[in-house]
Amino acid sequence: MDFDGLSVDQAPPISAPLRFFLTAPLFAVLAGILILFSDAAALISRHSMEAIVITHAITIGFLSFVMFGALTQMLPVLAGVKIAKVDLVYKISYIFLLTGTLCMIFGLWFNMSILLLGASALLGGGFLLIIISMLAAFKNVINFTASIRAMITGLVFALFITLMGVHLLASHGIGRFSDSHLLFANIHSVWAIFGFAGVLIIGVAFHILPMFYVAPKFKRFCKQRVVWLISTGLLLWLALNIFFDSYAVAAKIWIATFFWAFATTVYMKLSARRRKVSDVTIWYWRSAAVFMTLGAFSWVINDFFNAEYIVVVSIFIGGGFIFSIMSGMLYKIVPFLVWFHLNAKGYMSIPTMNDMVNKKLATTQFVLFIVSLIGFSISFFVPYFLEISAFVFIASMLILEYNIVIAVLIYLKTIKTKPDFDMSMFTMKV
Amino acid sequence: MSTIKEYLAADHGRCDELFAAMEDAVANSIESAKASFEEFAHETERHFQMEERVMFLEFEQKTGMTQGPTAMMRHEHTQMRGLISDMGKAIEAKDKDKFFGSSETLMILMQQHNMKEEQMLYTMAQQHLSAESDRIVEMMRSMIVQ
Repeated sequence: MDFDGLSVDQAPPISAPLRFFLTAPLFAVLAGILILFSDAAALISRHSMEAIVITHAITIGFLSFVMFGALTQMLPVLAGVKIAKVDLVYKISYIFLLTGTLCMIFGLWFNMSILLLGASALLGGGFLLIIISMLAAFKNVINFTASIRAMITGLVFALFITLMGVHLLASHGIGRFSDSHLLFANIHSVWAIFGFAGVLIIGVAFHILPMFYVAPKFKRFCKQRVVWLISTGLLLWLALNIFFDSYAVAAKIWIATFFWAFATTVYMKLSARRRKVSDVTIWYWRSAAVFMTLGAFSWVINDFFNAEYIVVVSIFIGGGFIFSIMSGMLYKIVPFLVWFHLNAKGYMSIPTMNDMVNKKLATTQFVLFIVSLIGFSISFFVPYFLEISAFVFIASMLILEYNIVIAVLIYLKTIKTKPDFDMSMFTMKV
Repeated sequence: MSTIKEYLAADHGRCDELFAAMEDAVANSIESAKASFEEFAHETERHFQMEERVMFLEFEQKTGMTQGPTAMMRHEHTQMRGLISDMGKAIEAKDKDKFFGSSETLMILMQQHNMKEEQMLYTMAQQHLSAESDRIVEMMRSMIVQ
């Protein structure tokens, strides 16, 4: 019997998730800056180089960094297992993913072949290392719950997305594109959004919402079938896309229906939660549910307009749904990790989670983020709003970074000054 | 009768409900939330003692593991008792911010702890102690909190 998950000594070191969390908002800031340097007309097309670069600064740089950072902490708790040599795996993959993402961004932006080939190898290596290490850890699970099955499914999708991404990026690097390049790019993006991020969020929500908010539990049908049904929809969509393209919308309706149902369920469960206290994480879950609903409908409707509005759909789903949930998660997980690791080290006078995150700043950050999302959506039709939306987004991400850096500084300061530590220097006036 | 796992997992749910009611009471008026807090603190302490004085002892005796998962769960009980004590002090001082700071931390710690118990320890306990399950559940049910 492996009791890895029950031991604090065996818990991942705090540095493993923190370096991912601290880097993520910085990539979002970089994405905002790149938007400022982009031509609004170019961003209307998902295939423009600017759109590809900015999308990946967000999806790899922010979303995947937060997701993989969180997974290292969740595996011992939700699955009772830990990644072998977790510190080493996370250090290597972090270096690979950080340099790989930067090489990709600047390689595509400045059209530098060598950087793109390097990015392809680094991102492929970094993602494969972390994904395979996680999948290997699941072999020790003794009690397969719905969340664990969802995590495994999401990671299997991630494996395919990585392989496709390596191929797509290498194609840019050598400057030769196969006839299937756009088809691959389409599969890569849809599987990344719905198969990896979407399934992972659904699986984690099964546990997180009833646990942290004392919300009603998800129905057995949801837990047992939804991930399976979505995965089937994604495979069906793949087959239709390759062989009967004109019928692919049927699979889209299938997938969108389950995500819309999930979004509605999340909203209803939060409304029915027993824990009435509200905070920024609740608002992020709610906004995610609203944006997912908009995204699910617009993704399907977009098909009837020759995919003209796919950028708006991406803002709704990628920004409004996935980004929202990841941001909310940072506000819960970072202060808790700081408290948990300080407590495990034996410090008695530790600041509470509320002392670590300034509520007013967190609220400001949330509001700015939502305003920027609305602004980006409008700027698709009225380019005038693009620049101001980018500034608002950058401000929001800088505040997010500041909010989590403060918690990490508290950790470092406590370690340095030992238990009797004066909190007053971290008190912020807003 | 419920199995050990069912009984203790259901008790986790009951403590969560009391936790939510206590937070609600403090949000409405910290001056009149003492009764809700005491009910939550008492029932949570009862849960800890059901494990520490009954189930963990039976598990350790059966498996011979005294420094393994039960030791870790006891350590986390101590962490949670500290936070509950801080919440009590915050109610006495009528300090809402302090109370919610500790309650938020407790909630996450408690849920991580419950998940580990339900996912692994209770499953193992049920496997090792299935023949004595009824007796152990009855002992926990009739236990008087010290």
